[in-house]
Amino acid sequence: MPEDLAEIYRTTYRALVRFLYRKVWDAERAEDLAQEAFARAVVHKPDNARGWLFIVAANMARDDARRAARERRHLTLLKAEPQASEPAAADDALHAESERTNVRAALEQLTPRDREVLLLWDSGLSYEDIAAQTGLARGAIGTTLARARRRLVEVYEAGHRGEHVARG
Amino acid sequence: MSHVDDGMLHAYLDGELAPADARGVDAHVAQCPDCRRRLDEERALIARAAELLARATPPDRELPPFRAGDVKPHTRVWWQVRLPLAWAATVALALGIGRYLGREAPPARQAETATDSEVARGRSLARRRESRPEARGTVRTPPAAAPALAPASPAPARARADYIALPRPELVESQVARERTGELAAKVAARKAASDGRDLWQRGTVISLDSARRVLGADPFVVPGVPVEAFYMGRGVGYSAVVIVQQALDSTTMIEVINARPAPLRLDQVVVAGAPAPTTAADSVSGAERSLAGRAHAADSLEARPLRAGVQARPNLFRDVRGSLSPDSLAALRRRLQPLRPPTGP
Repeated sequence: MPEDLAEIYRTTYRALVRFLYRKVWDAERAEDLAQEAFARAVVHKPDNARGWLFIVAANMARDDARRAARERRHLTLLKAEPQASEPAAADDALHAESERTNVRAALEQLTPRDREVLLLWDSGLSYEDIAAQTGLARGAIGTTLARARRRLVEVYEAGHRGEHVARG
Repeated sequence: MSHVDDGMLHAYLDGELAPADARGVDAHVAQCPDCRRRLDEERALIARAAELLARATPPDRELPPFRAGDVKPHTRVWWQVRLPLAWAATVALALGIGRYLGREAPPARQAETATDSEVARGRSLARRRESRPEARGTVRTPPAAAPALAPASPAPARARADYIALPRPELVESQVARERTGELAAKVAARKAASDGRDLWQRGTVISLDSARRVLGADPFVVPGVPVEAFYMGRGVGYSAVVIVQQALDSTTMIEVINARPAPLRLDQVVVAGAPAPTTAADSVSGAERSLAGRAHAADSLEARPLRAGVQARPNLFRDVRGSLSPDSLAALRRRLQPLRPPTGP
């Protein structure tokens, strides 16, 4: 294994898992896909391994999402019930879970391109890398990020307010 | 200069503006209160967005070790390790029961493939059974072995139930790794080595270094200074644990270093998975942290266990190098074998 890929693995693996998680919303699946992406990188030895990994990961997540969507249709029916009756001990976990759901819902209100740019930036890619990956002009990344961030926060806050009103 | 637009502000705050442009923003903001206020707002927005994203994160897990082709082997390793051991236990159990219950069926005939060593194991088991009948229920048997055990009444059923109610895989591995070998094992190993064994070792799936360590109970041996391509789980008749280290001498020449632990030949050397074991230093030492001193200490404390009195303390591993090289070169490589150093922590 090339030495630099090992280094990239060390510095990028977690970011890649996070990036994938925000697409597939399943921690184990995200880890599997991240490892698969690195395994492919070992074979292909790409020049810009970091950027390449995120491109491959994004593609894998898209394929995965299509497949998972079919399966999920059954599962949501089964999963919906027991969560409601969880005791207070699980409160924190439930809270974190609902936070995650809210952020996820907000992220899904972004256009695919805005979301992609935001997630890539949050994964530690530079404007240059993001531009190369998305096909956007480098000068457009700042504007895209500004819009994506604003929309994310607005949608989230709106959802949050709605929740509090509903509770109170 | 005109007001700074949002995109430029964000690029500025992200540190992604070219130095000349950044200086321009500095100069403008210094004399424009409006843009100064916006700068603060956008800074807060960026922080808030990052904070929200941080809530949508998977649980932070330890970075799994990365080797070429090392893709999620963890879920499988444990049973690959256990299976040969379980089979050995089954044969021993069948032989022992045969001897114990009925003299009309000599053990050698019951299992046609049984070797001397296996018979010896059976005897040992029979002895144990006479002194400690309760030992029977704790021996694990794989489901496929049930027919052979049918006459032994409730034992197979219970053994099978125990087989399903497994402890955590890592526990099994660490217990397997703790078993020791006897002198007979060394003889078997010598015989194996003597017979020309091109196909003696079968290569299985790729495993991580940590798994390799756990399987062997020691650092695998490698030829120092030669890049390691991958670790494989291996199989070899008469060996309970085999790890094959693939190393690249150059771009076209691969060699394989075999690290093999001979199968235990006496029942008291078979570590029974799931049986309550005294906590030893080995349990608390994780693979990555294991130092030579730590291992020596673990071995000491293991030796103190009553069942193991008189058993050789150091794992008696068999090692070999194979590859498409001349016998002389292979012999030279064999002499150079060294334990792979534990990685220095980050």
